[in-house]
Amino acid sequence: MGHETFEQNEALDPQEERLLEELRGAAGRFDPPPASVVEAARASLTWRTIDAELAALAFDSAVDQPVSAIRGADGPRQLTFDAPGLSIEVEVSSAGTRRRLTGQLTPPRRSRIDVRHAGGITTVDTDALGRFQADAISAGPVSLRCHPSTPPSAPRFVTEWVPL
Amino acid sequence: MSVTAQEGGSVRCGTVLAPTPLARKASMGARFDERRLAQAAAAGDQRAWDALVDRFGELVWSTARAWGLSPEQGADAVQVTWLRLAEQLDRLQDQYEWLGVWLAATARRESLRLLGAGQGTEPGPEPASDPAASAGLSRDGLLWRVVRELPERCRRVLRILMTTPPPSHEEVAAALDLPVARIGDLRAHCLRDFRGRMAQIRIKTEPRDS
Repeated sequence: MGHETFEQNEALDPQEERLLEELRGAAGRFDPPPASVVEAARASLTWRTIDAELAALAFDSAVDQPVSAIRGADGPRQLTFDAPGLSIEVEVSSAGTRRRLTGQLTPPRRSRIDVRHAGGITTVDTDALGRFQADAISAGPVSLRCHPSTPPSAPRFVTEWVPL
Repeated sequence: MSVTAQEGGSVRCGTVLAPTPLARKASMGARFDERRLAQAAAAGDQRAWDALVDRFGELVWSTARAWGLSPEQGADAVQVTWLRLAEQLDRLQDQYEWLGVWLAATARRESLRLLGAGQGTEPGPEPASDPAASAGLSRDGLLWRVVRELPERCRRVLRILMTTPPPSHEEVAAALDLPVARIGDLRAHCLRDFRGRMAQIRIKTEPRDS
């Protein structure tokens, strides 16, 4: 008896293949991607940022410290984004479908922050120590775009999208 | 070449031949098209982007659903996945031929993130069908119900396979975080399990027209 290699992507058994065809049809009938989901996916292209450094999600307490029975579901979520030359820490607290973001830039610097979220764009300024707070952020995917105030030629940063 | 006899009298070739030159060319051709679409989308071409969403949309959705996300959670995971692709598209040039794999892996990570954030737990299999209750279902409805009754791993495998166009083994492996080399065996095993359950409720698994 032989065995399949990973190059063999076609089904060997016509009966299997026909059954899979039927199953695909059933999924297409009972659980296709909703039209709103497809529409949102298409609209995603308009959200991309040109000419900005990407600050990757380096830490997410939801993944790296999952909810435990002791801590419960009410504790604030902690996120850290890292890019060369900049780190952004954000604490997220929730009230229903609204989020409050409390953040800190490291190294500390004055910046303008555009919080991109399902409700639009909310712009806040940090203080001189790089601290900021943004309220009434809609639950859903969120990304921060950060414009350091000085020098004028400083690169912009944009964080990876995270669902909040 | 070895040959094994299977139940039902069909004969199956046990060793693998490489994909036919035509199939291999077709799959390479498809990847080349995806690369061109990705390049155009990275340059801001909305129609090229829409074509990528059409091509891979079901795979991303199926991944979220395979991991047990509700439709609402699934919508979030899918949206974050596409937003991430849009943001990183011009940095992913060396992966344009493997976009399906990248998307499936990202959809899996986003699904696990939502599950880990305590926003839901993956549902277990549904209890086995009462044969009488199955009587009123369409065949599609029955197939769909039986998939949901499978144990966790086969439910996931089949849900991903139930994607149009059919995903490659690499895409299935990325969606489920399994070694590529195991996918063929898992597929065969899970379809056998599925057939067995259908037989138990006395419904044939041959399609109507056979």
